[in-house]
Amino acid sequence: MAASAGEVRHLFRALLREASRFSNYNVREYVKRRAIDAFHQYRDQSDPAVVDAAFKRGLQQLEIARRQSLVYSLYGPRVKSIMDLRSSK
Amino acid sequence: MRHAVRALHSCVLRRLQVQVQLDLPLKASVTPVTRWCRRMFSDEAHATHLDRGEVVARVLDVVKTHPKADPTKVTESASFQDVGLDSLDTVELVMSIEEEFAVAIPDAEADKISSCPEAIEYIASHPSAK
Repeated sequence: MAASAGEVRHLFRALLREASRFSNYNVREYVKRRAIDAFHQYRDQSDPAVVDAAFKRGLQQLEIARRQSLVYSLYGPRVKSIMDLRSSK
Repeated sequence: MRHAVRALHSCVLRRLQVQVQLDLPLKASVTPVTRWCRRMFSDEAHATHLDRGEVVARVLDVVKTHPKADPTKVTESASFQDVGLDSLDTVELVMSIEEEFAVAIPDAEADKISSCPEAIEYIASHPSAK
């Protein structure tokens, strides 16, 4: 079962959305950066087996991100990160 | 007795709230009741579309600040591919536009946006873009 281009875009968008839901600036930026890098790494891949394995890994990472954003929101810091303040000014 | 005091208390508080509204510099000859009604409908009043020029400026800004975009090629009629972005970069760019205007674009719509004019059109016609 090969993942279509639309499904890949859908997964990418879901990962980026999940990234923006983290309360911690560092984790948020990392998840965004890592998702972009990982998808670009497999961009020109033509072997369907490799693409499938990467897609499955992406789905697992999305589940992890979902769980972790919840956990981070439970134990968030009391003071906002300076990077958040700067970007909102 | 306590119920009466509480009722009187809340009546007094309600009156006090109305008096605060009267201090606002609103246009003359509006009774407190209609002023209060206007407050309730304020959400509808603010659901206006953004000014088109502002939308264009902000969308082009978001495109220019994308790390992979070539800022010299960004114009109001450029497609994202002209600017040097591939489909993954386009997804990332549409997400940045969503964050800039505080809207949530559904996947079906987001897949259709692949150029500056399309993005500008979508935001300009979105009722709750900020």
